[in-house]
Amino acid sequence: MAANFWTSSHCKQLLDQEEVDVVPPLDKEKGITLEDFKHIKMHMANYIWKLAQHVKVRQRVVATAVTYMRRVYTRKSMTEYDPRLVAPTCLYLASKAEESTVQARLLVFYMKKLYTDEKYRNDRYEIKDILEMEMKILEALNYYLVVFHPYRALSQLLQDASLNDISMTQLTWGLLNDTYRMDLILVHAPHLIALACIYIASVLREKDTTAWFEELRVDMNVVKNISMEILDFYENHRMITDDRIIAALSKLNLKP
Amino acid sequence: MAVAGPGQLNVEEYPSWGSRSVDCFEKLEQIGEGTYGQVYMAREIRTGEIVALKKIRMDNEKEGFPITAIREIKILKKLHHENVIKLKEIVTSPGPETDEQGNQDGNKFKGGIYMVFEYMDHDLTGLADRPGLRFTVPQIKCYMKQLLTGLHYCHVNQVLHRDIKGSNLLIDNEGNLKLADFGLARSFSTDHTGNLTNRVITLWYRPPELLLGATKYGPAVDMWSVGCIFAELLNGKPILPGKNEPEQLNKIFELCGSPDELNWPGVSKMPWYNNFKPPRPMKRRIREVFRHFDRHALDLLDSMLTLNPEKRITAQDALVAEYFWNDPLPCDPKSLPKYESSHEFQTKKKRQQQRQNEETAKRQKLQHPQPHTRLPPIQHTGGQAHPSHWHGPNHPINNPQPPVSAGPSHHQYGRPRGPPGGPNRYPPSGNQSGGYNQNRGAQVGGYSGGPYPPQGRGPPYAGSGMPAPGQRGAASGYGVGPPNYSQSSQFGGSAGGRGPNPMGGNRNQQYGGWQQ
Repeated sequence: MAANFWTSSHCKQLLDQEEVDVVPPLDKEKGITLEDFKHIKMHMANYIWKLAQHVKVRQRVVATAVTYMRRVYTRKSMTEYDPRLVAPTCLYLASKAEESTVQARLLVFYMKKLYTDEKYRNDRYEIKDILEMEMKILEALNYYLVVFHPYRALSQLLQDASLNDISMTQLTWGLLNDTYRMDLILVHAPHLIALACIYIASVLREKDTTAWFEELRVDMNVVKNISMEILDFYENHRMITDDRIIAALSKLNLKP
Repeated sequence: MAVAGPGQLNVEEYPSWGSRSVDCFEKLEQIGEGTYGQVYMAREIRTGEIVALKKIRMDNEKEGFPITAIREIKILKKLHHENVIKLKEIVTSPGPETDEQGNQDGNKFKGGIYMVFEYMDHDLTGLADRPGLRFTVPQIKCYMKQLLTGLHYCHVNQVLHRDIKGSNLLIDNEGNLKLADFGLARSFSTDHTGNLTNRVITLWYRPPELLLGATKYGPAVDMWSVGCIFAELLNGKPILPGKNEPEQLNKIFELCGSPDELNWPGVSKMPWYNNFKPPRPMKRRIREVFRHFDRHALDLLDSMLTLNPEKRITAQDALVAEYFWNDPLPCDPKSLPKYESSHEFQTKKKRQQQRQNEETAKRQKLQHPQPHTRLPPIQHTGGQAHPSHWHGPNHPINNPQPPVSAGPSHHQYGRPRGPPGGPNRYPPSGNQSGGYNQNRGAQVGGYSGGPYPPQGRGPPYAGSGMPAPGQRGAASGYGVGPPNYSQSSQFGGSAGGRGPNPMGGNRNQQYGGWQQ
């Protein structure tokens, strides 16, 4: 994206982790725990990813869509904003905002196709539901549509550290993709997320980057904290089974 | 007013997210047609502040919220500059089902989404078309300087406006000029090497590269439009009023000469070059046609109306042109006279009314007088300005056809002209200003879907992925400059002498009254 991150709405909208980790009261009433809430968001990020592969949009669109979805749930409940509709609609909106428009018709087609593969069926959403939800999401986002992602920073930083070989690039890029299964993009500046991915990758691949990181003059505590979060996520995510997600979703008691 | 000073958001009363209802505003009157709907002047009930409300029309959208509106919102939310219109907020209305039936009450808004802008008293076309009004040279310089400053800011922030024309340049009674209507704008961001549509910019202001089918272009397209506006301000009327694309190109070639591999390397490979290339070479005649302009104005205009976009002057360079640094200097905006509100939409309406009256009065006559004429900038001390005073030198040169064809150009937006090349083929600019844009609803799917093939899809989450490093980068000169760049520094240097054009020469003494 053009323009400058530090003066952007994205920068001003960064939240504290405590603000992100709030289960909306309506969802709480239904017994949704913070863990459930996170699991559903993660699941929906995966779902956006799968849909995106079918409708063929570039990665940036996926990243923006997931960010929209996560922003929506800092302000709205899943009870009112059915994640199964919010997720594809975020992809729809992101495809416009990122200049890779996907037709609503196509999206609905793949929604239905995907649902038949899934264990919890919901194929009642139609084009008009997407369009209606689009307006609600725009409003929930307060029409702030520009999102900065760590991808560009990542390539620049890798180059600067002379780590831009295929192996490191692949590893860090994959790590970065996985960060969208968490709320990191709502909390941290993009370049710090990129640095955390480089940090993890350089430890894994036993590259000595200490000197390089020192020269950057960034707060290494923050980078290390983000890295820990990412590693924690990898630790735990095997425990997140489909059954747990279905259980969480069923608590929401959404209409069939 | 107690809550918010002029130009300030009254943040306190806003919800932290979501948007207010349009019911916070009282509609006063329609002041224009935007890209996707009407523009109203309205008063915020709470504060009494006057704003402009631009409706985002949704009724004909098969694809939900229009991508043009998304672009405009994205762009306006990131541009903050005194010469760019400010988007104050977005408000929604509950929709028709909650309205009382019929919507007969003229003060109610129908369901939809509105962008709330600061209110501006005039647009440049509306102002220029005021009967009897003439701009002074310092005034023209002042407007041009502001236009270029705003546009430079857009270009630094990697935004192409793509619809620069008089009715999109808003002017308030403090003399401030602001770029508005970013409905066709988009960012030429660096990670996007895809093609852009060439069906942008109102025909009369459209540069030759777009008319020749270019789909990769840059800020130079806006600079061509600026050149057309500049000449129009000095000339008193639009300089290139083509009726359709071939005629537009022809007019351009007649004025600027025909392009060839010498003056524009690569032009013969442009998609539509062979369809449109003139049968024989034509000479560049800008300096001849506009010989009555003063020397620095002519130098600047010449550099703006350069066929080759690579050679065309940039906004930044134009700002340091001699023109702005020689007497008479651009005036202070605040010193400009205040006028009663005038928008093209309104003056157009008034003129239509006037014309109707005249036509009924003398229907049998073939030629009826122009309802009004724009006046050239320089003060005539002797006598009333009459069309012949300033039509004279241009018609024979600029328009080989009888002036009749160019006649209606004074009501450029007043007279509906049918789309010449079949529906939707060429957006006619002459239509009610909305006319051109009305096509866009239908285009949305077409041009936003087609030209941007999905690029370099990243890997699935598993981490098996490879980025496509090639497609980013290419940061170009515009980089990621901080939006609040300093304006002052750029005016520091004096321009290196551009095209020394010795005084006198071919200047036409007979119209000396308005050279300066």
